[in-house]
Amino acid sequence: MSISAKRLPPGTTEPNARLHRWLQRGLFVCLTALALEGTFTFPGLLVWYGFPDLSLVEMCSELEKVRYSDDSRECVFPYPFFAPSEGAGQKTAQDRWGVQPQPRYKRIGFRELVKIRDERLARQAAAKLSAASESH
Amino acid sequence: MSTASLGLDVPNGYDDHQTTSREAQRKADRWMLPGAILMTTAVLGPIGFPLFLKGMVEQRKALLQGLSVRPMICTLLGYLVIMDSGLNSIGWSLDLVAHHSLVSRTLVTAWGNMFDSGYFWHYNELWIGGAGAPGEKSWEIALVPTVFCMRLAAAIGFLQMKRWGHQWLIVTCWFGVIYWVGYVANMTLFADLRYTHVVFPVWGWWIYDIFYITPFLAIPYLHTVNREVFTD
Repeated sequence: MSISAKRLPPGTTEPNARLHRWLQRGLFVCLTALALEGTFTFPGLLVWYGFPDLSLVEMCSELEKVRYSDDSRECVFPYPFFAPSEGAGQKTAQDRWGVQPQPRYKRIGFRELVKIRDERLARQAAAKLSAASESH
Repeated sequence: MSTASLGLDVPNGYDDHQTTSREAQRKADRWMLPGAILMTTAVLGPIGFPLFLKGMVEQRKALLQGLSVRPMICTLLGYLVIMDSGLNSIGWSLDLVAHHSLVSRTLVTAWGNMFDSGYFWHYNELWIGGAGAPGEKSWEIALVPTVFCMRLAAAIGFLQMKRWGHQWLIVTCWFGVIYWVGYVANMTLFADLRYTHVVFPVWGWWIYDIFYITPFLAIPYLHTVNREVFTD
């Protein structure tokens, strides 16, 4: 047995030592990456989509409005256990239909849901105000 | 039978070494296993990550002390399979059975909007709920109760250096090759639907998901390792 073979980890034979060394490096990279992804994906998503300016329920509502292209959609929470799927039968979602459907909703940028919501609330408040002033 | 069990006060280097090694391995696993399991829940990841790192430090310390603990490559492989299976299972189980929970309707659909519209486009519109992308539900039904459960069990056996763990990891890693090829093919065929107006489209998906290639790294090791290190 050569000196280098003595230093090999159990299970690794000399002809495969180099392969195992590279596999170990690859496994370490993947494990670290999955650990970081597992740790930071949900917090990262929360930040991108507007938390804490938006609560989870508000974020859910905003995502529904984008998904179904319908500003009147609100996230029902808690959702009734035996109710049909929340989107069942909806007619508002916009798609370009062909061999494959292509969604028409727009890409959501960093914290853009907060901006979209603020603008909608401002629009609704202005509309309410003008309606009130017209009625007087 | 050890000298200690015979009631003899004779120092036995081998027994001591075995006991110290076993304790060192258990100590490392006591940190790594809960850490890995917490990280597979995604939400509790920030708690699991430091626990896991602490376990890795303990494992490395034991190796440097010359104790007979699991080879580092087996530790990395076993825990990587646990995390790979766990993270896939949690995401797909949420979509399969908890699609109307608040977590699914915010974080799963947000993930879909960011990386793969299969989890955003017409979400919760099918009678079964959850992802509406063609083929996606079939993969969830096929893989979560079968492959990922088997992979989790195999990884635990493998970390215990059991022969059945090694054998079942080979079987389930070949399953892994099949689902990688099938999943990527399905996703590519419906790419228009899945990557239009996504925050980080195709390249984002690959950067995010390439680290799930565990089977491709595991198979060469599992077929070339000296199987005598695994016990019945």
